[in-house]
Amino acid sequence: MNDSSPIKQQAATAKIQTKRPFSIVWIVPLVALVIGGWLAYKAISEKGPVITITFSTADGLEAGKTKIKYREVDIGQVETIALNNDVSKVVVTAKMIKGSERYLTDQTKFWVVRPRVSGSSVSGLSTMLSGAYIGIDGSDKGAPTLAFTGLEVPPVVTVGQPGRHFILKADMLGSLDVGAPLYYRQIQVGQVVSYNFDDSGKAVDIKIFIEAPHHAKVTETTRFWNASGVDVTLNAQGLKVDTQSMVSIVSGGIAFDNVPKDAPPGDEAKENETFLLYAGEDAIHEKKYSVRNYWILLFNESVRGLSVGAPVELYGIKIGEVVDLNLEFDLEKKKFQVPVIIAIEPERISSAKKEEALEAAKKDPRALIQELVEKQGLRAQLQSGNLLTGQLMINMTFVPDAPKTTLSSYAGYRVVPTVPGSFEKLQESLSKIITNLEKVQFDQIGTELHQVLKETKTTVAGIGDFTKQMNNETSPQLQSTLIELQKTLVEVQKGMGANSPLNYHTTKSLEELSMTLRSLRELTDTLNKQPQAILFGKEKKADE
Amino acid sequence: MNESAATARTLGLIACHDCRLLIEAIQVREHPHCPRCGAHLHPRKPNSLTRTWALVWAAIIFIIPANVLPMTITSTLGAKQADTIISGVIYFMQTGSWEIASVIFIASVFVPFCKLVILIFLLLSVQFRSRWRPKDRTTLYRLTELVGRWSMVDIYVVTILVALVKLGAIVSIEAGPAAVYFAAVVVTTMFAAESFDPRLIWDVIEEDV
Repeated sequence: MNDSSPIKQQAATAKIQTKRPFSIVWIVPLVALVIGGWLAYKAISEKGPVITITFSTADGLEAGKTKIKYREVDIGQVETIALNNDVSKVVVTAKMIKGSERYLTDQTKFWVVRPRVSGSSVSGLSTMLSGAYIGIDGSDKGAPTLAFTGLEVPPVVTVGQPGRHFILKADMLGSLDVGAPLYYRQIQVGQVVSYNFDDSGKAVDIKIFIEAPHHAKVTETTRFWNASGVDVTLNAQGLKVDTQSMVSIVSGGIAFDNVPKDAPPGDEAKENETFLLYAGEDAIHEKKYSVRNYWILLFNESVRGLSVGAPVELYGIKIGEVVDLNLEFDLEKKKFQVPVIIAIEPERISSAKKEEALEAAKKDPRALIQELVEKQGLRAQLQSGNLLTGQLMINMTFVPDAPKTTLSSYAGYRVVPTVPGSFEKLQESLSKIITNLEKVQFDQIGTELHQVLKETKTTVAGIGDFTKQMNNETSPQLQSTLIELQKTLVEVQKGMGANSPLNYHTTKSLEELSMTLRSLRELTDTLNKQPQAILFGKEKKADE
Repeated sequence: MNESAATARTLGLIACHDCRLLIEAIQVREHPHCPRCGAHLHPRKPNSLTRTWALVWAAIIFIIPANVLPMTITSTLGAKQADTIISGVIYFMQTGSWEIASVIFIASVFVPFCKLVILIFLLLSVQFRSRWRPKDRTTLYRLTELVGRWSMVDIYVVTILVALVKLGAIVSIEAGPAAVYFAAVVVTTMFAAESFDPRLIWDVIEEDV
C-alpha cells in the first residue's frame, strides 16, 4: 500500500506519545498496593499465637464461632475442634489476639463457661442465649506454653486476685466443695479453691484462698474448723445446733479464728502454709488443756448411757471427761465392777492463785485430791445427764456424811471413791415399789373379779327377760287403758264444760240453794227478833 | 475474515470514539478534538495496555482482601459470626441450598477471577504480538465486558440484607470490610475492560497483511 509509510510515520509519532515516563493510571494499582500492604501488615502484626486446649467434651463449643473471653472481652476465637489420637479428649485450636502471649503460661487456666447452678451461686446465665464461650484466667508467672488442658469447672479464684493461699489438712473432706465459703467471725472472707489427697493418701489437703486484706487475720495462732452444714450435737449437755450461714448449710464451709481469742496474734502466716482443719469449733477448745490428770472410778452399778467423752462435772461445770470404761470381773471376790477412767483438766478450774494451784495440780495432784476425799468427802457418782436420751455423766460431789475412806490405787490409777448416783437411788426406790407390787395376788383378784362379773352377767340377763315380758304383755294393755282413760277424760271435759247441762243444772241448783239459804236466814232473823212468831206467826207491821 | 478490507487506520483516518466521525489522521497532531462532537481523538485508545495493566494489578491486589476478610457479620442473639464469600458459599452448600450457593459462587468468585484471567491473557497476547485465534480472543473480550457489571450482584445482596435484617438484638447483619474491596475489584476490572482496546488484537494481523 502506498499510504502505509506515512501512516507508519503517524503511528510512530503516536508511539512517542505513549512513551510518557509515567502514566497517571498507575496510581490506581499503587493505591491498591498501599491498601493491600497496609491490610497485610495489619493482619500480620495483629496475628496472635495459636493455642490448643484439651477438654473432655466439646459441649457448646463451635469451630469458628466460640470466643475466648477474659473478663467478657474477646481475646481469641476457636478455629477448629478435633479429637485427639486416642479419641479420649477434644482438642480445641484457638487463635488468640496479639499480645496475649504474655498470659499464656503453664499457670493459665481455661474452662468452658456454661450456665451453672450450684448450691451457693448461679453463673453464666448470659451464655444460655449466646452460647458457651471459653473463659481464661491468664497468669504471667510460669513457663510460656501454647498447649493447655482445660478445666471442667471454672476456677474459684482468679490469678492475681490479692490474698493468700493456705493448705488445710483434714481426715475427711466432709461436705466441703470447691467454692465452699470461708468465714471469719461469720463474714465470708475466702473460698475453698481445690482439694486433693495428700502425698500419703491418708488425709485430704484442702487448698483455700483468703482475700486481701483478711489474709492478714491468719496467723500462727489461727485455728480452722469445719463449719459445714448444721452441727447438731446431742450429748449429756443437751441438744446443740450450730451453723454459720444458710450457704454453708447447703454447700459446707470453713470458719477460722484466733485461739484463744484474747491472746495476741502471732506472726502472719505465709503463702501455702499448712494448718489443721478441726472437726468443729469445740474440737479446738478441747485441745487447749495441756495438763490432764487421770483417775479411776469403780462402779458397782450399771453404767448404761455412759460413753467415752461423757463430761465429768463439778458443781455443774465440766472439769474433765470419761476416757475409758470397761467391765471387769474380780475372780477372788466373785464380783463384777466397772472401772471408769476419767481425765481431769485442772486448767479448767480457775483459782485465786492460779499459777500456784496449777503447779500443785501438775506436781502432786494426789495430795490435793486425798485431802478433798478424806476431809470433805469428795465422791464421784453417776448422774443422768439427759433424761430423754438416758445419757449418763460423772458428777463429782461432796458428801460430808459419807463413810470415811481414803485414796486407794487400782491398775496404776488412783481411785476416787464413788457413791450411788441419784439415778441409781431413784432406780432402787422404783424397784422397791415394784417388789411390793409383786406381792399383791393379782391372780386371785382376777379370778374373783371374773366370778363377780359372771354373776352380774346372769342378773343382767334376768333383767333383760323381765323387760322383754313387760314389753310383750303389759305394754299393749297399758296402752288400751290409757286410750280409754283419754276418752273418759274427753267426755268429762264435755260434760263439765261451760255450756254443758251439768254445769247449767249445777249453777241453777246453786242459785236455788242460795235463795233457800237466804229465806232460811230471814227466818232465823225473824225468829231471833220474835221468837213467838213460831207460834203466833209473823207480827204484822203498823204500816202493813 | 476479510483481511484485505480497508480499516480507518490503513486509510490514515481516525474514527471518533463517540460519534464515529472519520477524521484524517494528520489532523490529530494539531487538533486532537473531534470537530463534530468535541471528543478527544486517538487512533487507538491511548495507553491502552498500560492503563489496563495498572487496573488489572489493582484488581489483583484488591481481590485478596475481598476474599480473605469477612463479607457479612451476622449477629444472632449476641453471637457474632463473620462470613467470608467462600464461607458463605460453603454454608449454603452445607445447608442444601445449592442454587443460592452456585449463584453466589459464580457471581462473586468465578466471574471476577475469570475476568482477571481473561484480561491478563488478552494483555499478554497483545504484548507478545500473538496471532492466535484473534476472533476468539475478541469474543472473550466481549464476554468480559458484558459480564463485568453482574459481579456487583454480591454487593447488592449484602446491601439489601444489611438494610432488611435489622431486628435489633435478635438478629442483624452488618457489611464486612470485604464488601468495599470486592466493590473495588468489580470497579477496577470494569475500567480495565473498558480501557483495553480490542483493535490491538487485530493490529498485529493487519500489519502482517
